Amino acid sequence: MIYWSLKTLLSEPLRLIVSALAVAVSFILVIFFSAVFEGESNQMVAYLEKMDTDIWVMQKGVSNMHMASSMVWDWKAHKIAKMPDVKEVSAILFLNGPVKIGRKDWFSYIIGISPQHHRAGPWDLIKGKAIPDQGEAVIPEVITKLTGVQIGDEITMNDRPLKIVGLTRGTFSMASSVVFVSRKDLGDLVEGNDQYSYIMVYAKPNVSIQTLVDDIKNNLEKVNVLTNKEFIESDRQLAVQMGAEIINMMTIIGTLLATLIVAFTAYSLIARKKQELAIAKALGFSNAQIYIATLCQSIIITSLGLLLTLFLSYTLLIWLPMVVPQINLSIRIQQFIPVVLIAFPVAVFASLASARTVIKVDPMTVFNG
Amino acid sequence: MTKDTILKATNLKKYFGTGDSEVYAVNDVSLNIKRGEMVLIMGPSGSGKTTLLSMLGALLDPTSGDIIIDGAGISSMKDNELSVLRAKKIGFVFQAFNLLEALAVEENILFPSRLNTGGIKSAKPRLNELLDRLGLSQRRHALPNTLSGGEKQRVAIARALINQPPIILDDEPTGNLDSHKGQEVMMILHDIARDEGCAVLMVTHDPRVEEIADRVLWLEDGEIRDRKSEHHSWVKDPVCGMRVDEWTATVTTIYKEQKYVFCSHRCLERFNNEIDKYIELSE
Repeated sequence: MIYWSLKTLLSEPLRLIVSALAVAVSFILVIFFSAVFEGESNQMVAYLEKMDTDIWVMQKGVSNMHMASSMVWDWKAHKIAKMPDVKEVSAILFLNGPVKIGRKDWFSYIIGISPQHHRAGPWDLIKGKAIPDQGEAVIPEVITKLTGVQIGDEITMNDRPLKIVGLTRGTFSMASSVVFVSRKDLGDLVEGNDQYSYIMVYAKPNVSIQTLVDDIKNNLEKVNVLTNKEFIESDRQLAVQMGAEIINMMTIIGTLLATLIVAFTAYSLIARKKQELAIAKALGFSNAQIYIATLCQSIIITSLGLLLTLFLSYTLLIWLPMVVPQINLSIRIQQFIPVVLIAFPVAVFASLASARTVIKVDPMTVFNG
Repeated sequence: MTKDTILKATNLKKYFGTGDSEVYAVNDVSLNIKRGEMVLIMGPSGSGKTTLLSMLGALLDPTSGDIIIDGAGISSMKDNELSVLRAKKIGFVFQAFNLLEALAVEENILFPSRLNTGGIKSAKPRLNELLDRLGLSQRRHALPNTLSGGEKQRVAIARALINQPPIILDDEPTGNLDSHKGQEVMMILHDIARDEGCAVLMVTHDPRVEEIADRVLWLEDGEIRDRKSEHHSWVKDPVCGMRVDEWTATVTTIYKEQKYVFCSHRCLERFNNEIDKYIELSE
C-alpha cells in the first residue's frame, strides 16, 4: 500500500505541489507574523546594540529608551569620564517623537549628538555626512526610497526645519526609525542644552563592569545605571510587551487558519482516493495497511509543505526587504518548531479521520463506483 | 473439474434500517456454489443482487445467516481474518473496472499478490501467463486511462485471478462494455471457470450470458430461486439479431401494437432512429 501511496502522489505532480504549497503558504503566514515581530523587535534595539557600550547611565526611574524620557545633567557625564576605570564616555540627548519627512510623520528615535560624541552617531552611513551640525539631520535611507526625498531636502522636527545631510542603513523600523540631529537643535527643542538623556560608558580593559556600575551609582545621585545587556534586554522586553498581544492574536488566527488548511489538505487528499482505498480493502488489504497508506501520503505532503515553508521563508527573508524596504524580517530556526509540532499531528489526525470512513467500507462504493 | 462446494450460504438475511423504516435487501437466501461452476444471479434493479454479492464477498455483514467459504465459516471472523480471506479466496471483478489509476497494467494485476505468500516475486510467472492469456502483453506498462473499456475489464479479471482464488465474484462485468467486448469478457470468465476450476458467481442483467452459465439464480424482492429449468421466451433483437429472453429483458418498446425486445439500450436507440428498416429486416 505504501507503493500505491507513493505512485498515487507522484502520478499527479501538479496536485502534489499545490497541496504542499497550500500547507507551506498557511505556515508561512504564521512565520511571517512572527518574523515581522522579531525583525521589528530587533530593530527597536538596533541602536543600543550597535553602540556596543559597557554601561548606560540615565535618569533615576528610567530603564528604557523606547517610549521613555530621560534627563541627566551634563556635568554627570564629565564626572563619569574622570573616573579611573572609565576609558571613554559618549552621551546623547534623546526624544521619542515624530519627524515629518515628505508628507508623513515618521515616529522616530531622535538622537541629538555633538561632534565630540561622534561614537554615538550612525554606524552605517551610506551617503553624506555622519554628524549633523545645527539645522541638519541624518535619516534612514529607506525613508528616502519610500518618500522620494533626497539629501538637501527639508524635513521638520516639531516645526523646526532641518536639511537632510546624510543617509544611513540599518536604522529604519516601522515602529521607530533612528534620526540623528545636532545636540543643539534637540537641546533647544527640549530646553536641555545642559543635559543629556543617556550616557554611554566604555570601561577600560579588564575592568569589572559590575564594579564600575556600582562605582557610578555610589558617586552619582538620581541616576539609574545598567549594564549594556540589562538595558538592551529591558528595552526588548518593552517592545515585546507592546506588540505581543497583537502579534499573539495574529499568530493564533494564522495558526488556526494553517491548521484548517493542513487538515483540509490531508483530508481531501485521502477523500479523493477513497474509492481506490475501498477497492484495496475489498481486495484484501487490512485496516492497518490502509491507515499506513493514508498516513504515508499525509506525512509526505506535510513534510514537503514544511520544506517549502523553510525554503520560501528564507527566500522571503532575502527578497521581501528589497521589494518592501520598510519591512524588517528576522527568521530563526526555532520559529519552525511550533509549526512542525502543529503540522504533523494535524495531518495525522485528518488523514486518519478520512481513512476511518474507508475502514467501514460501503460495498456500494466498490461495486457501483 | 471437481464439483465440491466452495461457497455455501444458509438462510442469509440482510435488513437495513430499524422499526417502521426497516427494509430487507436479502431475505432468507440459501445457495451452494461448487468449484468450476459458473452461476449467474439475475433479477430486477433493487432486488438485492449487489447486497448479496457484498455479503458473499465478506464485505458486508449479514443480519443473520451463515456463509462458509472453502470450509471456513466467516461469521465469527475478525476484520483482519476477513481481509486475508478476501485476498486469498476471492477475486473481484467490478462493473466500473476499479483499476488503480496511478498503477500500470502489470502493477494493477500484481497489486493483490502483495498479500499472498511469496509476494510479487513469486507472482511474476502467473502475471506473464495472465497477460498472455488475456491479450495484454503489449499493454503491460500502460496506465488505466490509456486503455479501452474491454482492456480495463481484462486487467480487472487478471487482477482477480493473480492469487488463484477459488471464487470469482463479478458484478455486472459487461455493464460498461459494448456487446462485442461484453461477449469476449464473458467467454474469458467462462474459460477461467472451466480451466482453472474457479467458481464464478456473476451478477448480470445480460440475458445472453445465460447460454454459457451452469445455473441462473433469479433474485427478486430479496428472495432467490433457481431458474435454469424454467421456461424461456427467446426472441430476436431486431437490430443486432441476438437471442434475447423476452421474460427477463429490461429493454423493450411497443411500436404499432407490436412489442420489440432488445439486448441493450444501444440497440433500442438504433431501432428508434431507423424503425422501418429494422422492422423490415426482422420480418
